[in-house]
Amino acid sequence: MLTLTINGLSHDVDVPEDMPLLWVLRDHLNLVGTKYGCGIAQCGVCTVHVGGKPVRSCQLTIGDVGTRAVVTIEGIGSTPNGAKVQQAWMEAAVPQCGYCQAGQIMSATALLDSNPQPDDSDIDAAMAGNICRCGTYIRIRRAIKNAAAKSA
Amino acid sequence: MTMKKAIGIVVAAIAVVALGFSGCLFLGRDPMSFAGGSTVALAAYQGVDITGVPAQLASADLVKRGEYLTHAADCQACHTAPGGAPFAGGFAFNMPFGTIYSTNITPDKQTGIGNYTDAQFLAAVHKGIRADGEKLYPAMPYSSYTYMTDADALAIKAYLFTLAPVHAPARQDQLSWPFSQRSLLAIWNVVFNPDERFRPNTGQSPQWNRGAYLAEAMGHCGECHTPRNLAYAPDNHGKFAGAPTAGWRAYNITGDKDSGIGNWSDQDLFSYLSTGHANGHGGAAGPMGEAADDSLSYLVPDDTHALVAYLRSIPSHASDLPRTVKTAAPASYKEGVAAESNSRGEKIFAGACASCHDWTGVSPVTDYATLTGVRAVNDPSATNVAQTVINGVNRKTVEGTIFMPAFGEGYSDDDIAAVANYVTARFGAKGANLTGKDVADLRKQAAQQSKETPNG
Repeated sequence: MLTLTINGLSHDVDVPEDMPLLWVLRDHLNLVGTKYGCGIAQCGVCTVHVGGKPVRSCQLTIGDVGTRAVVTIEGIGSTPNGAKVQQAWMEAAVPQCGYCQAGQIMSATALLDSNPQPDDSDIDAAMAGNICRCGTYIRIRRAIKNAAAKSA
Repeated sequence: MTMKKAIGIVVAAIAVVALGFSGCLFLGRDPMSFAGGSTVALAAYQGVDITGVPAQLASADLVKRGEYLTHAADCQACHTAPGGAPFAGGFAFNMPFGTIYSTNITPDKQTGIGNYTDAQFLAAVHKGIRADGEKLYPAMPYSSYTYMTDADALAIKAYLFTLAPVHAPARQDQLSWPFSQRSLLAIWNVVFNPDERFRPNTGQSPQWNRGAYLAEAMGHCGECHTPRNLAYAPDNHGKFAGAPTAGWRAYNITGDKDSGIGNWSDQDLFSYLSTGHANGHGGAAGPMGEAADDSLSYLVPDDTHALVAYLRSIPSHASDLPRTVKTAAPASYKEGVAAESNSRGEKIFAGACASCHDWTGVSPVTDYATLTGVRAVNDPSATNVAQTVINGVNRKTVEGTIFMPAFGEGYSDDDIAAVANYVTARFGAKGANLTGKDVADLRKQAAQQSKETPNG
């Protein structure tokens, strides 16, 4: 039995240590806001925060999470930057099909956490691993800038 | 026959003998002679058993013992083609003078070794001679296996004969002349195959002797880690100092502090040998990943400790590798050695690599993915970095699957060169200068690496 802290709550899960966090979130805890995409950490759709860092949950085994706190798309709105990013996302109507957007929001929030005023190249470097088949990149960039401009 | 011809033949014969003799003196060298002291025949050695299986398995049946020894000798890695049946052969050795293939050692009577007698099996293992009398190429490491006891070799045979026979005819070797002439191997064998069984060193501990037996007679570490001479035989003057192998670099495993393993703790070495990974030093991939997963991870702890003790005794030999950088790169992509220097490599890193390896090189996902302190990243040739990018990692270990996607199909040679140069510059001691052509060559040399598939 492993104990995980997810969105501030403690969860006991009885799963093999080599199960990826994404499987635990979706199949065992019913936190299905985080999506499965490529399964090889190349699309960014499954991004969650672990110990404050954006991590691809399809490649992170539950045994490697350790005591680090996990935040998912379900909990990100409770953080200051997460709330600002979600608000900016709605104002700019960023999503098209929406499948990748949970991961985009998680990566964008992690970017603002470490760099409150990112320039274009900062955004490129931080968001390059999050792919959007609909091509909403222009609106993503604008929404990140708008979120950065919002007062806390 | 004219007089001229006869003289020519005599001169040629003298030249061959002289070459052989000087080869013995200057090129060939007993892999264990560095230890000095005196050796005795195994039968005369007073002390604990240093050959065979460890004490835990002493009372196991012959097949069980053979299974352990088959792992220790790592027969499987070379006798299995990627995706093919284990031990059915077909694995390609791509060498400068052509390609040869490993053969089927399942007990199939037509295409395998099902008809081999004990004597024939011993001749193959100790002398490199097939059942039909033809000579094997020394890609089969018989000049290492020659140190194996008859009993251990026959235990391996007993295990192999319990495998399901697989019908897998040998693939045709593609060698240029004169390398295609197997008969010429007679000369090579005289010079480079000692054809003698392991002789314990009475000046060393039983643990050292066990380690020597495991490293030389069984694990044949030197076949990859010792540089080769002009005759393609391991040159033990630079024993374990590192060498290119199958498009990868087998690194220096002597005690040199900068270019070897002198700065590794015993625990680091034990961990690397038993799991293919040591915290702070990274993980094995490519051929060493296979050696870890097919062979070394099966050894009992006492045997792994013996290997560590033996490795520690190898004379230090400095090679051309710089000291490994142990500090992480800055958290921002804008800072650090490679900032702005290689935008193509940086862009690829941002999109494909940073999510697991981080801009610091310290992975938030798993220590297996941490780049800081890893030898391959600190190798300015970037050979193993490029190979890992091309082939990915897909190791099945006791700790679970170790996975990195293979990027070789999706990225061009120029892309892979750019990202390898970026990674070595940002996280290692010195940036590489690979070109797309270099990467194309690396792909060819390692043509046998398996194509990794995504999870599941």
